[in-house]
Amino acid sequence: MKKYLFLKVWVVLIMLTITTTLVSNSTLSKTRVAILILGLSVFKFFGVSFYFMELKKAHIFWKISITIFVVFLTTILVLMR
Amino acid sequence: MQKELINVKNVYYPPGGILIWIIIFLELFTFGMALIAMIFYSKDEPEIFHNSRLLLNTTFGAVNTVFLLTSGFFMAKSVDSFRENNIKKTALFLRWTLLGGFLFLVLKSVEYYFKIENGYTINYSTFFSFYWMLTLFHVIHVIVGIVILLSVYFGIKKPIVRTSIEDFEASAAFWHMCDLIWLLLFPIIYLLF
Repeated sequence: MKKYLFLKVWVVLIMLTITTTLVSNSTLSKTRVAILILGLSVFKFFGVSFYFMELKKAHIFWKISITIFVVFLTTILVLMR
Repeated sequence: MQKELINVKNVYYPPGGILIWIIIFLELFTFGMALIAMIFYSKDEPEIFHNSRLLLNTTFGAVNTVFLLTSGFFMAKSVDSFRENNIKKTALFLRWTLLGGFLFLVLKSVEYYFKIENGYTINYSTFFSFYWMLTLFHVIHVIVGIVILLSVYFGIKKPIVRTSIEDFEASAAFWHMCDLIWLLLFPIIYLLF
């Protein structure tokens, strides 16, 4: 199970990257596209930090800190758009 | 190999060590603030930002994301192999990690070449000022990451490996930080405006 965990995360990250690029070319409204693009990027950010950087195993302080940072930043960016 | 038992559940010992995580948060804050500034300036010149964004090659940006994510995957595998004391596999995965980093730099150089050739330099527009400053600052981090990983690679290739798991994890954390920064830069610079 653990043997293929990184591979599974990598596949999801690549799929999210392709989806993000496709979403940017969609005909949805600008605000929706911005929310989708940044939302998908947040998932990718969590994929790298929690799995590749192994924050999943770390103390809850680090998990909360990185979550607050990325959610706070993307919220500001969406609101400013 | 110097084996140490690190309790990563301890608040003072996140994977890679607390010092690298302080650096990671400082870097993320710096890039985050720069991106907020970029969105702020785009409010004054929405047309210029949109037209300038269309001059970027989204495919280059997406392929570079794939290079960095793949490189990050091999880095994670390399850390796992190092923990299992499998130096041969560690070195192999490190080589793939480095290849991802080099491919990123090659593609970025090609992108920069076309931008400069077409006159889209740092003075072309406010958008391109941000584009050059943010992406070049990120490229510097990738170069520093490659130098760190090369020193780790040559360290583990020695007959007696003195690299500690904490040093290895810290180097890996720095490399993953380059991924994290790019995951913020790519959607905002290449797709959002």
